[in-house]
Formats: sequence, C-alpha cells, structure tokens
Amino acid sequence: MPERASGWDRASDPEKDPALIPDPATTEVPPELRKRIEDAMTLYPERHSAAIPALHAAQELHGWCSPEAIEQVACVMRVTPAYLDSVASFYDMLEKRPVGKHSVYVCTNISCSLRGADALLAMVREHADDDADFNVRSFECLGACDIAPMASVDGVYVGPLEPSDVPQLLDDARAGRPVLPQKQLATRLVADPNANSQEFPAHAPEEARR
Amino acid sequence: MTDMLLFKDIDEPGLKTLAVYEARGGYDSLRKALALTPAQVLEQLEASGLRGRGGAGFQMGKKVSFLPQGSMEKYLVCNADESEPGTFKDRELLQKNPHVLIEGIAIAAYAAGTDRSFIYIRGEYVLQADVLDAALAEAREAGYIGERVLDSDHSLTLVVHRGAGAYICGEETALLDSLEGKRGNPRLKPPFPANQGLYQGPTLINNVETLSTVPSIIALGGEQYAKIGVETSTGTKLVSVSGHVQKPGNYEIELGIPSREIIYGLAGGPPEGREIKCWFPGGSSAPVLTPDDLDVPYDFDSVAKAGSMLGSGAIIVVDDSTPIVDLALKVAKFYRHESCGKCTPCREGTNWTVKMLERIDSGEATPMDLDIMASVQEHIIGNCLCVLGDAMAMPIGSMIAKFREEFEEHIEQARVRQELAAHA
Amino acid sequence: MPRPQHNTITFTIDGREVQAPENAMLVDAAKHGDVEIPVFCYEPKLGNPVGACRMCLVEIEGIGKLQTGCSTPVKDGMVVHTQSERVKEAQRSVVEFLLINHPLDCPVCDKGGECPLQDISFGWGDGISRFIEPKRHFVKPLELSPKIAIDRERCILCYRCVRFSQEVSEDYQLVLLERGAHSFVSTFDGHPYVAPFSGNIIELCPVGALTSRSYRFRARPWDIEDAGSVCTLCPAQCNVSLTVRDERVMRVLARENDEVDDGWLCDHGRFAYPALARGTSSAEAGGDRASQVLEQASAAGNGHPPSAEPPTAPNANPHGVHVGMRVSEPLLRDGGELRPVSWERALEEVAAMLERAGARTAALAGSGATNEEGFLLSRLMRETLGSPHVDSRANGALALELQRALAEPRLQAKVSDLEFAHGVLVLDCDPLLDAPILDLRLRKGARRHGLEIERVAGENLRAMREAALRLSEAGAELVILWGERFGAGSDGEERVRALLALAEELSLGEIDGAGLLEIPATSNGRGLRESGVLPNCGPGLSEGEQDGLDTHAIAAALASGELSALYLLEVDPLGRDDPFAAAAASGSWADALARASAVVAHATLLSQGLAEHANVIFPAGPYAEKEGTVTHPDGRVQRVRRAAAEAGLTRSGWRVIVELSLRLGTDLDVRTEKEASRQLFEAVPFYAGLTLEEIGGRGVRWQERELVAVSGEPPARGDERA
Repeated sequence: MPERASGWDRASDPEKDPALIPDPATTEVPPELRKRIEDAMTLYPERHSAAIPALHAAQELHGWCSPEAIEQVACVMRVTPAYLDSVASFYDMLEKRPVGKHSVYVCTNISCSLRGADALLAMVREHADDDADFNVRSFECLGACDIAPMASVDGVYVGPLEPSDVPQLLDDARAGRPVLPQKQLATRLVADPNANSQEFPAHAPEEARR
Repeated sequence: MTDMLLFKDIDEPGLKTLAVYEARGGYDSLRKALALTPAQVLEQLEASGLRGRGGAGFQMGKKVSFLPQGSMEKYLVCNADESEPGTFKDRELLQKNPHVLIEGIAIAAYAAGTDRSFIYIRGEYVLQADVLDAALAEAREAGYIGERVLDSDHSLTLVVHRGAGAYICGEETALLDSLEGKRGNPRLKPPFPANQGLYQGPTLINNVETLSTVPSIIALGGEQYAKIGVETSTGTKLVSVSGHVQKPGNYEIELGIPSREIIYGLAGGPPEGREIKCWFPGGSSAPVLTPDDLDVPYDFDSVAKAGSMLGSGAIIVVDDSTPIVDLALKVAKFYRHESCGKCTPCREGTNWTVKMLERIDSGEATPMDLDIMASVQEHIIGNCLCVLGDAMAMPIGSMIAKFREEFEEHIEQARVRQELAAHA
Repeated sequence: MPRPQHNTITFTIDGREVQAPENAMLVDAAKHGDVEIPVFCYEPKLGNPVGACRMCLVEIEGIGKLQTGCSTPVKDGMVVHTQSERVKEAQRSVVEFLLINHPLDCPVCDKGGECPLQDISFGWGDGISRFIEPKRHFVKPLELSPKIAIDRERCILCYRCVRFSQEVSEDYQLVLLERGAHSFVSTFDGHPYVAPFSGNIIELCPVGALTSRSYRFRARPWDIEDAGSVCTLCPAQCNVSLTVRDERVMRVLARENDEVDDGWLCDHGRFAYPALARGTSSAEAGGDRASQVLEQASAAGNGHPPSAEPPTAPNANPHGVHVGMRVSEPLLRDGGELRPVSWERALEEVAAMLERAGARTAALAGSGATNEEGFLLSRLMRETLGSPHVDSRANGALALELQRALAEPRLQAKVSDLEFAHGVLVLDCDPLLDAPILDLRLRKGARRHGLEIERVAGENLRAMREAALRLSEAGAELVILWGERFGAGSDGEERVRALLALAEELSLGEIDGAGLLEIPATSNGRGLRESGVLPNCGPGLSEGEQDGLDTHAIAAALASGELSALYLLEVDPLGRDDPFAAAAASGSWADALARASAVVAHATLLSQGLAEHANVIFPAGPYAEKEGTVTHPDGRVQRVRRAAAEAGLTRSGWRVIVELSLRLGTDLDVRTEKEASRQLFEAVPFYAGLTLEEIGGRGVRWQERELVAVSGEPPARGDERA
C-alpha cells in the first residue's frame, strides 16, 4: 500500500465544466461496449447494479478505467462519471492508472508469505517490472492457500511456485500460451490424499525476509 | 469419520456437468423439496441445526424464518466472495460441484419464498465464475432455474455477479451495497437484511458451503443430518488448512473432532523439525491459539470457549520460524488495506496499528508502545460499524497478550541493531 | 401522505427520567433532558443516519455493545448512559482516532472558533494524543470549485458533503475516491464542483476542510455578529443568518426553518450578496468564470437561478457611473448623464416631476421591495397623486374575484405540503430557476416519501387536467405548484378559472395537505399584492375606488403619451433578469421609457434600463440594509431585519416615499419603520392584529392565525394565533 493516494493533492480545474451525466449526442461509445453494458443492466431490478460488470467491460476494452472509459460507461448507464469513479477506485481489480496488458497478481497474504511469497514477488518484479506488458501487483489473499505461494496470471491461478518458475511463467503469458500448465489450480485434485501433499518451499520464510 | 457429504465424488471427472451431477442423484433433493410445502422445507432446515459456514455461524433455518411473509419482492443472495485469508473451501465447491450450489439455492429460495437470487462471486475467481455460468446455463435449460421450476408454481431467476476485489464485500451488508452497484461500504444494522436488504427488500444471505449443504439436508432429512457432528455444531464442515503444514488443502470433517486431528492427522503437521508457534482456527480474523489449544474440539462453541472463533473454518498454522512481529504486521497491513474507510475506529485504528508495528519492527519503539497498541485494539473492538475493525484488533490483541515477551525482545534487539548501525 | 406522528415516551438518561417523542434518535431525544451527545456525521437533513463517525456511542442497559445514539430510536423505558466510564473512554478514543490525521492547524484555520471538531475535542477528548507517528501532509488549500476551497488534510471523512451532493441536491458530482485511510473527497477527473446548491457543503463540514473562497480569512468568529433575516433574492424567501463584521455582510448562512427552506440555501442566495452590496466594478466584470460555468450547467439541464452579476457596459461616464455598480447616492440625469447629487436636490427634482405629472403617474414595484414600501407607494400614488396606476404583477392584472379565490386560505398549500403530498403538479414554472429551494423540497418528497411529480406547460389546459387526474390516482393530497406566468396573456383569466375549477373538482380545498401554491414572478410578489400594489384593488385585496392600468397597459399608456411619469420601486423593465422585462412584449418598454417625461427609480445596482432612461435614481439597499416585512408565496409573513449599515447615502424606500408625499402636500403619517408596519397591518384585513413580535424569527402564516375569509372584513380578534 503506497503511503499516498494519487488524488490527494489534486485540485479541480475551474476551466473545466462540471462533470454531469454525459450527453449521448457528444459521447461516443464503442457499440460492443454499449451492448455489454445494456445487457448487464437488464439482469438487475435497478440499473446501477450493472456498475461493476460495466466497469469490467470498459477496462477490458480500454486496458484501465480511464476517464474516457468511465465517461462512456456513465453515458450508457445514465449516471455521473463521479459515481463510477467512486466505485472504480474502491475495488482492487479496477485499475485507475494505465497498466500492462498481462496481470500478475502475486498473493502475499499470510499463508502465501509463510511459504515464500515475498521472494516470489521479488523475483517477478525483477523480471517483469521493466516490461510494459506486465502489471505486477502484490495482492491480498486470492483464496488458494493450498497452492501457496501462488499467483493469478491473467486470471489463471498457478502454484505452488518456486522463484525459478518465474521466467517460464512470464514467457508463457507473453506468448499467450497456457501458463505453467502443470501448476494450474484447475488440474489439482482435492479428494486424493496425495494431492494435498507437496514439497516445502526451498526458501524458509525467515530467509526470504532478509 | 462420517461419510463425506460435500466432497463426495468431488474429483469425479465431469461432476461440474449436469449429466454427471444428475447421474449421481443431483437435483433429486430439489424435486423432493418441491413436493413439500415451503414451510415443510423450512422445518427440515431448522431441524438440521445447520449453522452458517461463512463466519458468523448463525443458524441457517432461523435466518430463513426471519424473512417476512407476504408478496413483496424478496431476494436470496449467495455470498461467494470468499476472501477471508486462509479460506479456499468455497472455491473448491464452486469449481468442482457448481450444481450442488445451484440446487441448494433453488431449495432455499423455495423455502424463503423468493423468486430472485444472485451469486456474488469475488472477481478473482475467474475460473469458478466461468464454471458457474456454464452450469447455470445447463440448469436453466433443464428447467431447474427459471419460470415454473420443474412445472411447479415456484419460479426463480439466478444471476452470477462478479465482484472486483474488496475483502469487505464478504460482509453481508457491504456485499449488498456492492451488488447494488455502489462502493462496498457496510450498512448500519438494524435494519437487518432479512427486513431491508437488497434494493430495500427482505433478503436472505448465505454462504456457498451453507447453501451447498442444503441438498444433503433434504436428502437425509433434517433430523438425520443433525445427528452428524455435535449438538450445537451439526454436520460436516469443510476446513481449509494452510501455512506451515505438510499437506495444505481442504478437508471435510465432522464438527467436533479434535483440532490436533485436523492439523496433524489430516494436514500432516508442521514440517520436520519445526514446532507450531500459533494457529488461527478460523481465518486471519480469529484470535490466535497456541499449541496448548490443539486438543480443543473443532466446533463453533468449543473454539469460542477457547477464546477464538471457528469463523470460516480456515486453519492457518504458523511455526516457530516466523517472528510474531512479522505475522502481526502482515495481518494489520491486510486489514488497513481492506478497511472501507467509513467508520473512524477501523479506518484510523488499522492505520495507526500498522504504523506502530512498523516502528516496533524497525527498533524505534519501547515496551510502552505495546500498551498503547493493546489499548488501541480495545478501542476498536465493539466500537465499529461492522466487524472488520474487530477482525484486525482481535488477532493483534491476542498476539500482544500471548507473545508479549517476544514483542519486547524484538523491540530490544531491533533497537540494539539500530544503535550498532548508527555507531558503525 | 401521513405526516409522522409522535407519541411521547419516558426514558432514563444519566439517571434522570426524560420525556421525548417516541422513536426520536437518542441524540435528539437526549436534548429533551439537556444532555448533549456529540456527533460529526449525524445530520438528519441528509437522510437516514449512517453511523460512520462513531462519536455518539452510548451505553444502553440490556445491550452488550455500545450503540450509536444517532441511529438508535428511543423507546419507552429505555435506560441510557452517556457519562459512564465505558462511554467516556469510547468518546475519548474516537476523538483520538479522528485527530490522528487532522493537522491541528487551528490558528490558521478559517473554522477555528466555530469548529465542531474543536468543540468536541475540547468537550469529550483527552487533551493529549498518544499518536507520535508523522502526520500526513497534503498540498492545501486546493480549489474544489470557483466558490469552494478544499483542505483534505483537515477532512475527517464524515461523509456529510458527499451525502449532500448525492442524496439532497442529487447532482452526484462530489464523491469519495479510494478506500480506507486513503479515502478522499473529490470530483471526477479534476472537474469543478459546480451545482445549484453546492455552497451548503461548506456549512455542513464539521471541520475546516471545505471553506468559502470568498469568506476565507475575512473574519474570525470573535470579530463577527450574526444577524437573522430573510433573503429576498427570489420568492423562496429563505431564512438566512448574516455574518456581519464592521457593519458589512461577510457571509450568508442558512437559518433553518423547516416550513420555508429546510435549512438549505441556493448558491445564488449564498454567494450573490457581496456583489449586491458592493456592486461590480467594471474592471472585474466579464471575467467571472464562476458564472460562465453556471451558465453551462444550466444549459445542460442542471439549472441555477439567474446570475446576480449584471453585464457591464463600457464605462464611458466621467462620474464613474456604470451598469452593475452599487447605487449609494442619489443620481440625477443632467445633460444626458447621470450624476451624483444630494438627497435634497434629488427629492426636490422628483417632487417637481411628480407634481407635474400628477394622476398621469404610474408606479411599479418588484424585486426586494417590502410590504411596507409597497403599501406606502400605493398610498403615495392613490392618495397623494390620485393615480390608481400601480402594479406589482409583471404579467399584468387578474380579475379581483380570481385573485380572491386564489387567496382562499383553504386552497392554500404550504411549503411542507410539497414534501408530504402524494403528487405535485408543476405548472408553468421551473422551481430550480424560480424558487430554487423548492426544487430540493420536491426531490426530498420524491426520495423519502414517494412523491410523484409531473411537469406541464399551462398552454394546454386539457393536458394540465389529465396530469392532475393521473397524479390524484396516487392519493388525494395533490399540490399544484404554479408560476405567475400561467395567468399571463389575453386568455390568462380563462386559464386561472380552469385551474380553480380543477382544484374544485379534486376537492383540493377540503383535503388537508392539498392545495395550490403560486410562485410569483417577483421575490415579494404575494406581499406586494396583499399590500395593495395592484391596479384593481386596495390593501388586502379590498375593492378599489377606481381601477387603474396594469403593467402592460402602463407601458402602452406611457408610449402613447397618455401617462407621463413612471415611478419604479426596485424594477427595471429593461433590466436583465428582471421579471418585468421577461414578461413584457419585446420593445414595449423601450418605447415607453423613451417617451416618459420622468422616470424615477429606487435601485440597489445600476441596471441597463435605468442607466439609459432614469431621470433620478434613489439608492435603495439590498435586503440586509432594510427593515420590514415580506410575505412568502404560502402566506407566511416574515421579517426582513437590518443587519448592516446602509452604504453611502442609501436611504430606505419607505422614508423616501413618505418624504415625497409630504413635499407633495400629503402626510402619510409614518415616522418610523414600526409605524409603517403597524399601518400596513391595520390596512390589510387578514394581517389585522399582527405584530412584529408575533412574526418573530420564524414568520407567521396569516391563514393559520384565524379562520379568515378573503372578503375584506377584518377578523374579530387579531392578536391570537390559531
């Protein structure tokens, strides 16, 4: 968690107009995005419920919840952009800054960090931080402590990961191949007692810390 | 060990498809339920003694009965926002047996008299949401969900709603706000969701595991189900065991077995040569227990009596290689990150606690800071809008109480290290 | 819709039995026992409590955890403790938590001295903090809008301002961004917060995080005095509290009156005052970004009341006279130019002009003219000059029988009816522009009580009736909120008859909470009519001796030479934003004023028409320099109180009128403001027996004093309230 939030020191620009509900006549919305938002709105008794699905859709299209993306959603949903900005900035998965197209969420919560997540994250950062295609984030518990330490790569859970898995992981993501197929959560059994057995990480947690 | 209910056939290839699920008796419970009156179904649920598997452990049947009768629009919401650190049991069910959840929702909705339901699934569970969507399409096609379910007078819509990453949305009222398209801020209670929930209508909210258990209750009969487990904690429970154990994973247990049996028996205990330092019996929000507590029966009331809580049934084991300050800092930082910011003690208290722990870690603290930190935790507990503040303050408070000596040693050593560095 | 009913219950607070309305929140119920429970986020005006700040934690016997007093309804027999050690510790801890991220820069903070956080820290906090970590520091202050500065360091995240934007004014421009301790108040992507009621957030802020840019560093609470009055910039007549320093109004705040304004002010009422008092210098005009932004907001359907700042003409006058300036001394046209002159000279000239014109003089009154000024103007015209040609209706006369029918007390809806009615038909008016605060009341009704609202234009009477019938299906309590312009034009009377017939058809006069509410074109339109400023009747809608010409006929008669002089009491029929100009046929007044031999005006600011045509202008004052009464559209007689010194040589209208009358040979027998009021109350039958004391700070609806019919008969007893 950074010590400062990005908007704390931002003033309003009095040269701008107030941000009202965007005018459909002057706000261009890509048709496929419009359709996804309108479809989402039909699922709920109140259209506001579609805010998160709509922002997900806009983020897929724009890469992040840019002011432009938010204005487009606001235009279709008939709400103010501020309403959606407020929602978007509340949730971790909605990006408020431009990011790389491949997301690597490394879980660094308790169970994963007990098993070497901090070293794993350091390794991922070392290999991907300078690569504009990657959005590397330290994430709170992703709900896969059984494969700790783990990461979600473009939404696909993989683990348990060794730091040495990182180059392959990034290469797979870059190439659009399934990421570390043998380590994907999807393939893991639960009822087989052996499935729950695994080697302990090479790095003991206290070593990883230093 | 009793037969597994939730994990029966869990790794059967294709269980997530309707064909395999039906071949194994799937949706028979729904048929059975629809032949009963809603009141009779409710009776079965109440007789089962099933307590909510999300964390609070409230009797599910009672919760259903709180919904007002009448023709107003009511809702059922399944809480699949599994985010409590250490918890990954719902994920297993969602991914491998989505139909048992859908069936459970259909039965519970019938009992509660609602015809609109939602599954709020955390946005990170992409695979599981996709599986759920596919299963839902099949269930609709087969007439288990939709207009006039199985030609009965009962209709039900079900929407899978994906969240976007916020722990607080696991709190039921925050989940409702989030589902309404707002920031996930918890609401003031009362009114409780049973009276004024989603879109201000009466709303039943249950966890994935709870609802997935419903078909078993109907199949067995409530009274039969109640014979499993112990008196106040009936049935089986999925337990997620993680951290310093040899076999981390999900296990289905009968409630009331000794905790030791889970940690050592099922999960293989800590790695060779290591000792357990402490363990969270119910996710990171639960006060930590020590090796002395390993014989506590793993059920709601026994764990509470031991000074902690069963919570979501997530056991995190921490061995003696981990400094307690590291653990505390990890916990506190998590809750600071996840505090919604609405109420003062949680927003400021989590922030302050992290800052104090950082100072303790870096050697700029004195033992007096431990007193202040303990007092801050006390000022958070019970004074917040929802339980998130408590969820940090309780484990942190328990760590200070149980490991005070280690904290003091840490402070002293860090201070000495810093002084040496300054003079070097 | 049923109003909330309250039974009285008895509960125990801090060991004492106290009676309070059942289900009142404990915070409010405690006040009945003189117990103060501190709050930050609680503000009932903003809707349901949110329980966010946790300052109001109290102990209730039988409940384990401490409860928030702001959200716990009091019940009979409840036992509450606010002084127990447990509660005190919780209160101390909340103050301690809040001060963690608060800079404590009170010595340089505008809120210092009137700051709830200061007061509560002092009253309930511990005096010391155990927080030794570095505090956050942000750039400050930042511009939130042209009118409001934001200091995020000081913000305690009480949510009041964002709740106002989202749930009261419903503009949803102001939100919280980010989460947890990172949360901050902001707009979208650096856009300014510009909305018709934005200034209310300054008053709502319990710390110095939101401050008025025009008031910042202008005064300290110990330098100022508060003066209650009524804003007369529009017919809504909101109750205000004026912050006065050294006889100058520095700031306008709301003075909550549920029956009038619900505690809110529009931005026009809040921020326009300084320009009204000072006028705009020609140098600063034209560059006002704030009003441009407002124009755009209005154009985008997010309207606002007309701007106070008049346009500025090039300053060609050697005497520094220019459009938009404050008139603070008498001006006389001499050699084609307006020049400052002494009062003696001005009065002498005007007396001579009126003497010459005599009964060929006409008079119009509008804007912020008080009842007393209107009443005395009518006397000057009728008694001194013998002219019945007086009007205050920008849209022209209405038959006396119709005026009386419309003023029937049983048909009269009041402001709070707008909130609790089942339906409101908005007819030929735009509340947001015509009486902004009523727009908030309608929104509140819709949001909280399911009020249904339909808007129709009056030209289609069938559509009007159909809309009313549709609304009445939702419930019998229907209010028709209509604008004066509905009755304008040649078929105006026919329309008003249809409106009255509709009211009869729907029994609006018989149903409690139903009725008609007219928004007059001018701020004190109702008061001026009732004071006798109408061509076809005298004070209190009494039968006049002789019918005069109405506004439109006066214009025509001046243009044709039939009338020769025009006396304008706070009216400029060619002025921008003047309702008389808006209601007139284009070109009619330009001719009339050009042909008139004498145009005499009372004005606060120099406007376009007066700058071109007035022969003499008397310096009138804005409302804070006036004393008198005005009448709200729903019949509430309210007091306008002098809060500041009259600028320059400004002189109250009533004094000038009385003086002129004397010079013309008729003593109106008024020497003081109070005498003017007394004379008015005696003359208007349904004001009979009113006293200024009775009106007090909240006003009195004359319809509620006695069951009086509008027949010209004074009521039997007058000085008791019904």
